[in-house]
Amino acid sequence: MDEERASEPRELAAEARDRVRFEEEALELSDQVYRVARRLVSSREEAEDLVQETYARAFRSWQSYTPGTNMRAWLLRILTNLNIDRGRRLQRQPDPQPLEEGDYFLYNRMEQAAGGRTDVERIDDRLSQDDIVGALSAVPHDFRDVIVLVDIGDFTYADAAQILDIPVGTVMSRLHRGRRILKRELAEKVGES
Amino acid sequence: MGGGFGECSCEHCEEVMQPYLDRELTAEEHAEAEAHLDSCGYCRKRYEFESELRVYVKKVCQEEMSPELKAKLVALRLPEP
Repeated sequence: MDEERASEPRELAAEARDRVRFEEEALELSDQVYRVARRLVSSREEAEDLVQETYARAFRSWQSYTPGTNMRAWLLRILTNLNIDRGRRLQRQPDPQPLEEGDYFLYNRMEQAAGGRTDVERIDDRLSQDDIVGALSAVPHDFRDVIVLVDIGDFTYADAAQILDIPVGTVMSRLHRGRRILKRELAEKVGES
Repeated sequence: MGGGFGECSCEHCEEVMQPYLDRELTAEEHAEAEAHLDSCGYCRKRYEFESELRVYVKKVCQEEMSPELKAKLVALRLPEP
């Protein structure tokens, strides 16, 4: 009994060390978590709230994280679940329009807008940061989530599938379609300018 | 991928652009696409554009978190036992 009692403080100290290590590692990832969060929701305020809620929950349930696994994906899983719980996903329905435009559509539209000149490769001359951010925010949530995770957050298909709790094949099909929707939105902006 | 680089090769090339850039094609499909791109300036330009567009989207969509938020996150740490 005495030995058991003597080992308790050591266990508590080891647990405290593990927790501190977890918190430090999680905080180091906060910039990356925020960058993804910012594009999943429509305002800076929403992103800040979401990241704070995510970290509050992560710190409370740190023992459910398995050391050595992908902590960034673990944090993003909490974040996307919170985002769904808040009903943000319901703000827009999945894109109901048939998407006839292919992957060359935006380039062709830009070439047309440039009066047939073929130097449309200078993307930054034709599309501003606001155009891109605006077009991305117009992509329905289900499609935008995968674009943000894979194309902005650099997550693999497998990680994105785990974070969103959907099959890898669904990640791929949503990414494919989502990028086309994004380009359709950008093509409209080229038409406006 | 179905279809293949037959009569409508540019159409097929457009269809495989995303899996090509994502390195999701089989070695054989990839080689077919490369062969088409080597001989087709029309498709090659559009592939280069897509590739640059992805880089540009990623670059302009980065927004840094505020130092205030970072401080709030640090304050969320659990108290020492």
